[in-house]
Amino acid sequence: MRLVIADDSALVRDGLRHALQAHGHDVIATAADAEELLAVIRHAPPDVALVDIRMPPTHTTEGLRAATEIRGRNPDVAVLVLSQYVDADFALTLLRDSPAGSGYVLKDRITQLTVLLDAIERLARGETVVDPELVELLLHRPATFRRLGELTGREHDVLALVAEGLSDRAIAERLWLTQKTVETHVRHILGKLALPPDADHNRRVLAVLTYLRAG
Amino acid sequence: MTAARLRAAVLALAALTLALWVTDVVRQLQGGSAGAGLVFYAVAGVAAVAVALAVARQRGGERMALVIAVWLCVSALDDLAVDWPVSRSATTAWMLAHGLAPSAFAVMVLAYPSGRLRGRGERLLVALAVLAGLVWMGAPLLFFRPGGCATCAPRVSSWLYTGTTFDYLPVGQASWVAFIALGLVFVVLLVGRLRAAPPGARVTLLPLGLAVFFAAAEFIAQRVVWLGGWAGPVAALDWIDRANALLLPLAIFLGLAAIRRRRGPLGDLVVELGRAGPGQVQPALARSIGDSTLELALWIPDRGEFVDEAGMPIDTSAIPRGRVLTAIGPPGEPVAALIHDERLLGQRPLLEAAGSAARLALENTRLQAELRAQLAELRSSRARIVEAADAERRRVERDLHDGAQQRLLALGLALQLLRERNADPELLGQAEAELQTALRELRDLARGIHPTILTEQGLGPAVRSLADRAAIPITVEAGDERYPAAIETAAYFVVAEALNNVAKHAAARSAAVTIDRRNGRLRVEVSDDGCGGAVASAGGGLQGLADRVAAAGASLTLTSEPGAGTTLEVELPCGS
Repeated sequence: MRLVIADDSALVRDGLRHALQAHGHDVIATAADAEELLAVIRHAPPDVALVDIRMPPTHTTEGLRAATEIRGRNPDVAVLVLSQYVDADFALTLLRDSPAGSGYVLKDRITQLTVLLDAIERLARGETVVDPELVELLLHRPATFRRLGELTGREHDVLALVAEGLSDRAIAERLWLTQKTVETHVRHILGKLALPPDADHNRRVLAVLTYLRAG
Repeated sequence: MTAARLRAAVLALAALTLALWVTDVVRQLQGGSAGAGLVFYAVAGVAAVAVALAVARQRGGERMALVIAVWLCVSALDDLAVDWPVSRSATTAWMLAHGLAPSAFAVMVLAYPSGRLRGRGERLLVALAVLAGLVWMGAPLLFFRPGGCATCAPRVSSWLYTGTTFDYLPVGQASWVAFIALGLVFVVLLVGRLRAAPPGARVTLLPLGLAVFFAAAEFIAQRVVWLGGWAGPVAALDWIDRANALLLPLAIFLGLAAIRRRRGPLGDLVVELGRAGPGQVQPALARSIGDSTLELALWIPDRGEFVDEAGMPIDTSAIPRGRVLTAIGPPGEPVAALIHDERLLGQRPLLEAAGSAARLALENTRLQAELRAQLAELRSSRARIVEAADAERRRVERDLHDGAQQRLLALGLALQLLRERNADPELLGQAEAELQTALRELRDLARGIHPTILTEQGLGPAVRSLADRAAIPITVEAGDERYPAAIETAAYFVVAEALNNVAKHAAARSAAVTIDRRNGRLRVEVSDDGCGGAVASAGGGLQGLADRVAAAGASLTLTSEPGAGTTLEVELPCGS
């Protein structure tokens, strides 16, 4: 898979490139800031761009802005934002316009290579990726938690994975269920939460996240 | 009594007095007596009434004028009735007037300049004089019959005549002795008052004092004459008596005028200086002293020179002809100086007083300006300290992310490589778990120090993010508007600390955060349904909040009745 890595830390940039190349990915370019990243992508669009959220000059959320811009300009390029912030608003900023192919995970995940590689694969398939820790935070918001009282334990688990952006098939694999059972669970969950049934699982992610965030 | 009523009473008494005087003069003319004595008598009477009216016209002089008018009226009655031939009414009036005239005189003198008697001593003296007068004239009132007394003027008895008589001359003599004694006390009182008066006021008492001593001496002398039974100097004493009828009111009028002259301009000046802002002291001084060219020079000891109100140096060696510099303050240590027309030199006390008053005002202005400047400096330095602390927080947060965190991440990548080189998987697993914990703790620490979402997305998202992490449901009502960074930071930490307190102390089931903008102010309200009873203790989180909010130019209101939850409200200025 053709990848681009944007991170202002050479240490991380190089380490990540080695790790990903060791797993058979083709890191076609790296960038140290948002401007360079945009130029690189204009020049040679990758399948997935891994973008550190903090980059020069202000080291705050340049990466997030660049990601939104990339997604706006070139929807075929999937973007994985590597973030230091467990903030739903940042994630929703990225996902709101085009959830398919957008990912928001904690930067810690680069030290859990299997998780990172899985996220890259899913993004390349046009799925959405939301960090489990953020989903957990939202599920455990007191206000949300009360509203989810009607869900069974299993439905709760399924909802979490839906929110992370997993497809029904992936959820089925993760929970050792049949895809059909997962689909039933999802239907029940959406019914109980009064959310519209949506065949597009990326829009479904957005709806669920917005629901979890509300109130 | 109001000033208007007092004036009306003075007017009525003056009219009555004039009528009595005119009647007397006309009667004397008809009786064939004419000449210098009568003319003087007539002129003095009219002039005295005019003076009383003039005093009544002065602001605050109404009561004094009334006292003068009473004395003039009693005197006129005394003079008129003394040889009104046939009427028992006239006899009664004369005897009463004659007996009370000394008391009216004493009241007038003692009440100067306010028109009121001061102290029990003065009131006792007047009461004794009234008593002596009633005893003195009481005997003839009750027992006088025509022909009973060779030297007595009236030709008929009073209305109060009892029908019997006796030799009451000893009673009269006894009361004269009392009058002489009272007269001496009166003089001593006045001397005391003259001596006690401050130097400035003594001048205003002097005309009165002179007239009083004149009158008192005459009064005592007359009593002595009567007591001794010498009739010779009586005519001369009458002349003096009449002169006094004019001189005393005149002296009072001049004294009051002098008081006003001295008090007026300075009084106005002090009032004006009280209102004067910077740069307005010199014009106020110029007006009150009556020299429009007057310049004010302030002595600056540090620089050893005079400056004007604007702080510009004044060259005192280049004062033009016809103008002089009057230094104000102790010799050799001037506090200020006035540069003025040399013709004002005669009024040095006024100049000094005015200069001192101005100096006070200037000092006041200077101190106030200094204080305001210090206060403003204090406010801005407090705001700067908070801003510096906030900047420091942002810097630390950034260092954590870009320094420590990046190194930990690099370490994590290295561990991944180790895993591929078949290192001990158990050990590796432990190391990775530790690393994940370290990264999470680092992230939480950085967020606590300064949440990036606050600077990047603003107060609303940052507060919602806080609420996401709370243990109880928190309703957040906040828009996505942005405010100045210092205000957002202050508001954010207010909410953070308040929610922290709710979690720790309130035992609340839920809480609500409302952030809105009202009248150009950002209002932050955090309320819970907990146990209430929260207080801001020194060194506590709430006190820290109050200090932070105060630095942003706002205040914090805490409502926390026990059992009724807690509401914290802060209004921050947020510019436009």
